[in-house]
Parts: sequence; C-alpha cells; structure tokens
Amino acid sequence: MNALELAERALAHAVGDAQVTVTRERSLLSRFARSAPTQATAVDDVTIHVLAWRDGHTGAAATNLADDASLRDAAVRADAAARASATAAGRAGDHPGPVRPAAGGALGDAAAHDAATAALDPDVAGTALATAFEVCGAAGLEAFGVWTAGEVESAIASTAGVRASERVTDAYMKVIARDARGRSGWASGAGTGHGAFDAAALARDAAAKVRPEDAAELPPGEYPVVLAPDALGSLLDFLGDLAFNGLAHAEGRGALSGRLGATVAAPGITLADAPRSTLTLPRAFDAEGTPKDALTLIEDGVARRVVHDSRSAARAGDGAASTGHATAPGGSPYGPSPTNLVLAGGDAATEAELLAPIERGIYVTRLWYVNPVNEHETLLTGTTRDGTFLIEDGRIVRPLRDVRFTDSVLRILAATEALTSARHLACEADHYGRRFAYGVVCPALRASGFRVTGVSPA
Amino acid sequence: MLELLTDLIAVADGRVSYAEARHVSDRGEGLAVRSGEVDDAGSSTTEGIGVRVRVGGGWGFAATGDATRAGAEAALAQAIAIAEAQPSVGIPTELAPVAPARGHWASPCAIDPFTISIEEKLALLSEIEAALRGDPRVVRTVASCLSRRVEKAFASTEGAAFTQVVVQCGGGIQAIAAGDDEVQVRSYPLAHGGDVAAAGWEQMLALDLREQAPRIAAEAVELLTAPPCPEGVRTIVLHGEQLALQTHESIGHALELDRILLGEASYAGTSWVGSRDAGTLRYGSDLLNVTADATSPGGLGTFGWDDEGVAAKRTPLIERGILQATLCNRESATTVGLGESGGCARADGFSRQPIVRMTNVNVEPGDAGTLADLLADTGEGLWFETNRSWSIDDRRLQFQFATEICREITGGELGRLYRNGSYAGITPEFWGSMDAICSASEWRLWSLLNCGKGEPGQVMEVSHGAAPARFRDVQVGVA
Repeated sequence: MNALELAERALAHAVGDAQVTVTRERSLLSRFARSAPTQATAVDDVTIHVLAWRDGHTGAAATNLADDASLRDAAVRADAAARASATAAGRAGDHPGPVRPAAGGALGDAAAHDAATAALDPDVAGTALATAFEVCGAAGLEAFGVWTAGEVESAIASTAGVRASERVTDAYMKVIARDARGRSGWASGAGTGHGAFDAAALARDAAAKVRPEDAAELPPGEYPVVLAPDALGSLLDFLGDLAFNGLAHAEGRGALSGRLGATVAAPGITLADAPRSTLTLPRAFDAEGTPKDALTLIEDGVARRVVHDSRSAARAGDGAASTGHATAPGGSPYGPSPTNLVLAGGDAATEAELLAPIERGIYVTRLWYVNPVNEHETLLTGTTRDGTFLIEDGRIVRPLRDVRFTDSVLRILAATEALTSARHLACEADHYGRRFAYGVVCPALRASGFRVTGVSPA
Repeated sequence: MLELLTDLIAVADGRVSYAEARHVSDRGEGLAVRSGEVDDAGSSTTEGIGVRVRVGGGWGFAATGDATRAGAEAALAQAIAIAEAQPSVGIPTELAPVAPARGHWASPCAIDPFTISIEEKLALLSEIEAALRGDPRVVRTVASCLSRRVEKAFASTEGAAFTQVVVQCGGGIQAIAAGDDEVQVRSYPLAHGGDVAAAGWEQMLALDLREQAPRIAAEAVELLTAPPCPEGVRTIVLHGEQLALQTHESIGHALELDRILLGEASYAGTSWVGSRDAGTLRYGSDLLNVTADATSPGGLGTFGWDDEGVAAKRTPLIERGILQATLCNRESATTVGLGESGGCARADGFSRQPIVRMTNVNVEPGDAGTLADLLADTGEGLWFETNRSWSIDDRRLQFQFATEICREITGGELGRLYRNGSYAGITPEFWGSMDAICSASEWRLWSLLNCGKGEPGQVMEVSHGAAPARFRDVQVGVA
C-alpha cells in the first residue's frame, strides 16, 4: 500500500474536517571515525498524522501503527483534542480550516527520486567509507564523517479534497580529514542521489584543507571575510526562520517587520525559495498540501516578502495567503519557513578571486553551534570549524585558530562585496526525527566585515 | 513483548558476536495556549523495535515500526547485513562486562497525567496564559505542558531481559514583548520547553505558573527600555537554571568519552579533556564537585538500566575541582581500560541506537547559604537568569551565553534590570573562578529537553542539579 492509499484509509476514520499526512521513511546512515566504521543505522518506519478541526480549533494525533484500530484511534484522538480545544476556548478559533485543493487536481512527484539511491545498499556505503579511509590515509590523515541515503514517501489526503503524494530520495556524505595535532579539514556533498558526490573527491578536498603551518591567532575585532558555501549556508538557514517567518512578521517581532520594500542587503543579494529547482532537494507541496513554487524573498538587496502557511496568513490578515511554506499540518504554531533557499551567484569565477582584494582577513570553511542571540536583529553567534585560514595580501597564508563570531546575518549580507558564480548545496543532514532532507544553495561570499568576539584556545 | 525479544535474540545467537533488541512504546501529549488561542493540542503514539548487532568488528543497527515477530526478524537480518558490509576494523574492542539485567523498574508517578482530561489541562493553561496578557506591547504569550510515558523492553545475547517505564510531565510560560525596534522575551520557570520532571501531573500542579505570569509579562515589557548589559570584566552570579545549562555544555558534553576518543568528531565534536586525565586534570576550583547520577529522584536522566542494560549508578566526575571520571558506555569504557561501563548509553526511541549520553550531571551544593546570603556576600556584580542563547566550540572550551534577565547586584541585593545580558569564557578558567555556591536549600534539578547529538540526530532529555553560584572576573556584555 502506498502512502496516499494509507492516508485515504486513515481519512476514512475521520469524524469531521480532517487532514491525514503520511510520511514513510527508509534510510541508511553509516558513520566513521579514525578511518574506521563506528555506527550504522537503518530505519524503516512511517508516521500517520491526523489533524482535525472543530469550530476553528485544531487537534492532532500521530501514530506509526497502520492497522485499522490504530488509525481509528488516531482519528478519534485528534477529534477529541479539537473538541477539547473548542471547549476550553469557549469561542470559535481563528484557524481557517483545511486548505482547498490546488487547481489542477492531485499533486504528483517533484522528480526528485533516484532508484539506485532508494535501494539503500549497505555495500555502496561501505565502499564510500573505504574510499575515504584510503584517500585520507595516503595523505597521512584520519577520516571522520557520514554517508547517508534515504527515501521518503509523503502523502496528504483531506476532507477538503486535497490529494498529494511524492517520493523523494536524498544522499549526503561529509568527510573530515584530521591530523595527529587535531587540525581538520571539511568537505561535503549532497543531492537527490548518491551519484551527486564522489567519496574520493570529498576526501581529497577535506585533506587539502589540513595544512602543515602552525595556526595563527586573530584577536577579537572586525575583519574582511570569505565565507565558503557551507559557512554561508548555515547563516542563510537561520535567516530563513528569523526573517521570513510570516507569523513572527505578523506579530511584529520578525526581523523584517516594517522593512519590506527597504534595502536590507547589498545590491548583489537575491535570495529566493525555489522548491522546484533541481539544484535543491525539490519538494512539490508543503505540509498542508499547498503547491510549492519559487518565491523571491530578497531581490537586489531589497526585502520583498515573507512566507506564509494558512495559519500565519489568517493571523496576518490583509489579504495574506499561504505561499506553500507550512512545515506542519495545519501550519506550525511556530510559523512557516522556507525549505529550499537559493542565493543567486555572482561574477567571481573562483574563490581565489574573492580572496584577491583582501589585505588581511579570514577564510571560513564552515560554522558550528550557531544560535540566535537576538532574533529580531538576526544576530547570531557560533564558532568556525574544520578549516579556518588567515588571508593576507589576497591569498590564504596559514591556518587560523578557530574564532567565535557574533554578527547579524543581514549586516553580513549588507556588507557583501562579491559572490562566486559556482554554487553548492549546503546541508547539515543531521536528520532529527522523521527524515526531511533540505539544504541551502549558495555561492561563496566576500564581505567587508565579520565580527569576531572570541578565540578558541590552542 | 519481552518474550518476542528474547526469542529474537535466541535466533541471533551464534550468527553474531553480540546482539540486543529494544522495544519502545512512547506516548506523548503536548498542549499549548498561545496569544489567546488553543493552537497546539496533539498527541502521539509510536512503537517499534531496534536491533543492534556486532559481526566481527562491525556494528549494524536496524529499526522497524513493525513490532511483530516477522518485523523483528527482518530488522535482525538487515542489521546483520549492514554489519557485514562495514569495512574491516581489525581486532574489535571488547564490551565491558555487565551482569545480565533482569526485572522491572518504574519512575515514581503520583498522578498519571493521562488520566487528566485534555479539557482540564487546557482550562488550566488558558487561565495561566490569560494572566500573561494585558499590556499591548506583549505580542506573544504561551502557556504549555507536556506529558509522556515511555515503556521499554530489552533483551541481549548476554542474558539481559528487563522492562522499565518512565513518566514525564511539566510545563512553562513565555511572554514576548515588542516595541520601537526592540523585541524581548521572558520565560518561566526556564526557557527551552518548561520545567519537566520524571513525575506525574503533580509536577505541573506544583509549578506556580499562574502566580508568576504577571511578573514575567511585566519583565518582558520592562526589558524593552532597559539599558544594555554593561561591557567589561565583572563578578557574576548565575541563577541555578543558567548554571545547569553551563554545566551541561561545558562539563557534561566535555566528559563524554566517545567525544574524548574522537568518535563524535564528525558531528558533535571532540573535547579538550584527554582520555587519561582522570585523577590529575584540574577542571575548576576546589568548590567544584560534580556527579553523574542516574538515580536522582525526578531526573530526566534517571532510569533503572541504561540502553545497554547497565544498572543506574552515581559516579563522581569531579571532586574538589579535580577530574575523576568520564561518561562512558560499554565499548568506550574498555577502550580506555576501565573495568565497567559508566552506564551512560541512551537512545532516542526505538529507531536510534544507544550512544554515550549524560545522565543527570549535577553540580553539588556548596556552603554559601541562601541566594540572599550569596548576594549579600557578593556586594557588587551582575546576576544572570534564564537562558536565551547558548553556544560553545567543538572542544567545549570557548563558550558564550546570553540570558533573558541580567540585573545589577549592588549593596548586596538585586538592582536595576539590563537587557541583552551575556557573558563568555574558557571552560577551565571559568570553573576555576567559582568561589561560592549556594547551600543545599537552594539546590534543585533543572530539566533540559532538547539535547541533540548523534547521526542520525537524537534528541535526549536530561536534568542537572544546580544552585546559584558566583564566578569572578568574567567577561560580560559580549553580544
């Protein structure tokens, strides 16, 4: 039984207005450390989520049991929760109810499925690991990292008539090459299939970032910076939640509150959510079954719009409508979010071109433990990791001790001077909970200022 | 279910050098009233089996939501296939010995939270949330609670066969205020999901959320126009909740032996602590005494046995500032020559394999008396309360925290409010500067629901015992 059939089976138990969302995951993830395999995890599971409505209030219930009794139980629990919500509120709620079907009928796949990847062959993983061990070993380094692949089938059926389903695959590998002194380099690859990356090339790229020179130290201050795509991707991922969340915007606490139509970034910055782009991990519809289409968020440095699900659009009023960015059935109480950010590339042919004008600055491969300090200001803090270098006179001269940054993403984008034309799909692929692969497509970037607020000890 | 698992393990015996099977049934309920609307009323039930095997030196783990005999056997076959596909690692590390666990364990629970109707819970939350509203500058208000019941069964090829049940419950409130290009937040009793314990509904009833709500909302508004946190080097006093997170990030994670042995370098990172530092490394001042205690009543890191079948234990980690032990599981214990596991293997549900995790890592109380006594003794400084932002480097050395509340300490009492309070430091220097910690009367467990680690990602809940403590010469106003 496919996911849509299961969703319809569950919907048959619905008491009133309801949406059933089925997510079936099959995945394999192999970890390695010190050039040896450490943990390998295979998951085969399904989530059946029922959202019920009563008088503008919602109730939800989820289960991973697909027998009729469990489906009926989930439907009854969801309806009981919705009734309880209505009773507790004592008045009608503000949820607009299940979304109407998209014009054109049932939604289909986003053409993001690779059969070979869906096979989840553990030998493919084993071979990739062995390759990384060999390449790093030849450079006198140890390999650490992950190889993972997954197939996720999603389906939505609602009493309003929505019928949507898609099967997507994703694959990801990262290699961290490390020497005996603890210095490390990073490379990662991602795509809709494991053919999107080459384990040997990733291992070579990671190894090339482990340099023999002693690391220099830069004191706190503001420095010109070149952010490699993985580093920039981390910042843009946070920006997606902090700046474009339509619910936060409607409540006056979003980073773009009062700033739509204003210049918030350098003229070269054009950021879109492009769920159908094959550069990303494509998605056909959101968690409410609303079709996903490209949406420009920042255009030539000007903030254009925020994203909505049905819940945030209702709260926003003033004609706002869902833009297909629900991250949970019925819309998340925390608000909608873009899932396929794409930053337009620039004119620089290589990262070396970005380095060229910098007299003294920092090259950042990736960032770590990034968290908001002040959401409204898109102020983040985090540290650099696995490849931080000193730039002098237009080139990388030696490693730098890792630094802590505390800076605003919008301020960095406003200080942006140049971008590479080549772009990379930056992913974390940490896969908490049910697998939902996503990433940010972005180039490398040069900005005139990057605020360093601390230095990691040697 | 235990019989199904022991039968499965019998099938595995002879085909593998080690196998364990866990069945986990997890029932959860989350309720929230936000800005006058009941906009979160949901429940979930999941059930499944995870099978972990070792073939030669390779590990394989497969999880299935099909908890039938056929489903379990398919997972076993897949786990074996995965283990056999791993590149050779030479001679595998032995697992530290453990007596086969048998029996049943349950966490204390006076009032089963699932016997309280959703209507009753939402009525309570609605009343609490309403007490947050009133000032138009408060743009978002939240009152929430959660209830959870996790039942586990475990069997292994070494003869373990046990079951255990944990019930968790708790909640919290939050107010967000906005005005003049400034947004501020206040949470109570703590940020990041509220105050949760291994207990029943009695935990929620014991929280004074309704009484505290007006103060929390007023503080959110007051923060909008408060002056910024001063910059410089100051004496600081941390509220117990912030000390708990400080402990979690800069002691708990740093002492995970898998990190120390580089097994987590691909994701969570490594550690500044070495594998042979126990007994010699000065971690902090003489006042620093830390234990890993899986027996702490009400703790979210409390259990009967860990997810490798090792009985709960209380282990001194740091005594008088000197490192004594690390957090380990059966494999990492053997790697460094320990005779037994630290009992710190925990897994997020049935679909993740056990990895090294904190139990309740507690900073033991000192002798500085009450908070009032500590403030009076401090005289001048800054008070930091309720975490807002946290970050630490991948070796758990250089950290930066921000709190919702920062107050001047003047004349031995709490004074004016500052916004955007923050401080930063280096782990051993920071703990070395701790020169006072409140007495047992101020000590309690603080919950933490969102600890992420492992690949695929695992979210784990844990508690940390802490009391307010004082630190000298700390960099403040860093953000």
